[in-house]
Amino acid sequence: MKFVYRIFEKVRPTFEEGGKLSLIHPLYEAIENFFFAPAAVSIGAPYGRDPLDVKRYMTAVIIGLLPCVLAAFYFYGLRFLPMIIVSYGAGFVVELLFAIVRKEKIAEGFLVTGLIFPLVLPPTIPLWMLAVGVMFGVCIGKELFGGTGRNIFNPAIVGRVFLALAYPSQMSGEVWVKPGHGILGRVLDYVTIKTPTGPDEGVMATVVKFFSVNADGVRSFFTVEHIEAITSATPLGLAKKGEFIDVMRLAIGEVTGSIGETSGLMVLCGGIFLLITRVANWRTVVSILLSAFIMAFALHQSNPEKFASPTWHMFAGGLLFGAFFMATDPVSSPNTNGGKYVYGILIGAVAMLIRNFGAYTEGVMFSILLGNIFAPVIDEIFFSIRIRRLKNEE
Amino acid sequence: MDEPTTAIVIFFAAIFTNNMLLASFLGMCSFVACSVLISTALGLGTAVTLVLACTTAINYGIYHLILKADAVWLATDLGFLKFIVFIAVIAAFVQFVEMFVERFSPKLYFALGIFLPLITVNCAILGASLLLVINEYNLPQSVGFGFGAGIGWTLAIVLMAGLRQKMRYSDIPEPFKGVPIALMVTGVLAMAFIGFAGMVSI
Repeated sequence: MKFVYRIFEKVRPTFEEGGKLSLIHPLYEAIENFFFAPAAVSIGAPYGRDPLDVKRYMTAVIIGLLPCVLAAFYFYGLRFLPMIIVSYGAGFVVELLFAIVRKEKIAEGFLVTGLIFPLVLPPTIPLWMLAVGVMFGVCIGKELFGGTGRNIFNPAIVGRVFLALAYPSQMSGEVWVKPGHGILGRVLDYVTIKTPTGPDEGVMATVVKFFSVNADGVRSFFTVEHIEAITSATPLGLAKKGEFIDVMRLAIGEVTGSIGETSGLMVLCGGIFLLITRVANWRTVVSILLSAFIMAFALHQSNPEKFASPTWHMFAGGLLFGAFFMATDPVSSPNTNGGKYVYGILIGAVAMLIRNFGAYTEGVMFSILLGNIFAPVIDEIFFSIRIRRLKNEE
Repeated sequence: MDEPTTAIVIFFAAIFTNNMLLASFLGMCSFVACSVLISTALGLGTAVTLVLACTTAINYGIYHLILKADAVWLATDLGFLKFIVFIAVIAAFVQFVEMFVERFSPKLYFALGIFLPLITVNCAILGASLLLVINEYNLPQSVGFGFGAGIGWTLAIVLMAGLRQKMRYSDIPEPFKGVPIALMVTGVLAMAFIGFAGMVSI
């Protein structure tokens, strides 16, 4: 590491006040902070000493997301790689612009948003659309409010809802690739979709095609498949017609759906890690899942033909992923403990309502955004109750 | 033709799926101006709900008894007068509410300031009266619609006030402070409410 450190030492003056490249100082700082702990320390009391700073916090979330990322590669193949790259790249550009104009640091919060965002999208989303979505989410959902820690919405959710409303035909319908199976899954496949405007994949597909052409007839190392024959409706889409997929298949994740949320078990692995490290608040998670379960149970009892069973709802779609990774965002969820329960109940109930009665097949993203919107009011109610109680005690 | 939608369905649709403010963008001016504190927002919302529920009923009566082409009391078609008559009714009613608020809650009266009399020209209220004519609602449907629209408007403004209270800890760029960021947040609110689409519809 000494070698890397020396490089940083050497180039630092260029980026500091008065240096040639002082304009992009935030970029330098972000890279330096990625390798080393921040050199600047706070001077004088008061300060708390806690190893869990924002950076560790975000690292924990990324570790929690790893099982989902692996599942995404297994079920949907190599296309996830360019998706991650584009998501990080496009979001980082927005972050960097804001940091330069506002003369602030680049916060680590983006590392999480940039990875969560591709995980909740259909596997065939055009890459430019992904870029638009992540830029919208980061800009409107976060940076306009002052960046990480000051946002009032979860940026990934804002981007996801924006894409779902702005580009419905690429976000639902014939976009759900059938997942891979067997030992290798789709790990070596690169699945693309034919668009009316021609292939939209650009460089990546060209590279992959180059390899597959060279393989000369034999099933090549990489294969480029075209989509027409290999899409099918999501479990939630089928449920609207009254067909319910086996719960075990849902839990393992060998079903169509958003790229990182199909495998309930993988999400649980990462999610439980977050609960153990206390990065995700268990109150939010438990109340979301419990309220959704109770609601689904009641509906299932009233009409088992029309409404799926509660365990089915637990593993279908993005409920688990949303509950563990998106609703628990500490900034946009309520601060009071009581508020977290109410917030969770609201999210779970609204998600079930939209799934079973709404025009949209999946309601988790809308319900989490609604939860974010209700959060300050919920907090306010709990504050006023507490204040009243304190006054009565006097 | 299937059964006419019941008043209760219209009530819920007016709150969630066809929210006056978030789906039709009516009543924006006082929404943006009075959504800084939750308490003020709740006060204004209550006043608007009261005015909406009552004026839809009154306007329904006036329209069907007098203004309509085949009205009960007057056979002449005075439908073209509906705008001016509705506004007059609303103005009179708002005067009444204003006196009421001033007498019983002077604090709210001063907090609302000019926006209390301005409920008169709150487009959500005239809009509701005109929509019930367009949609050909009967009396229970009209009241359900007016009341629901009021509750929906209140819900939206209270949520907005909550978010704006939280936004005091945000660091918003200078050009976006105040109204611009409020309008952007309203957009996100509207996006979230689209999720309810299809549950109830009118």
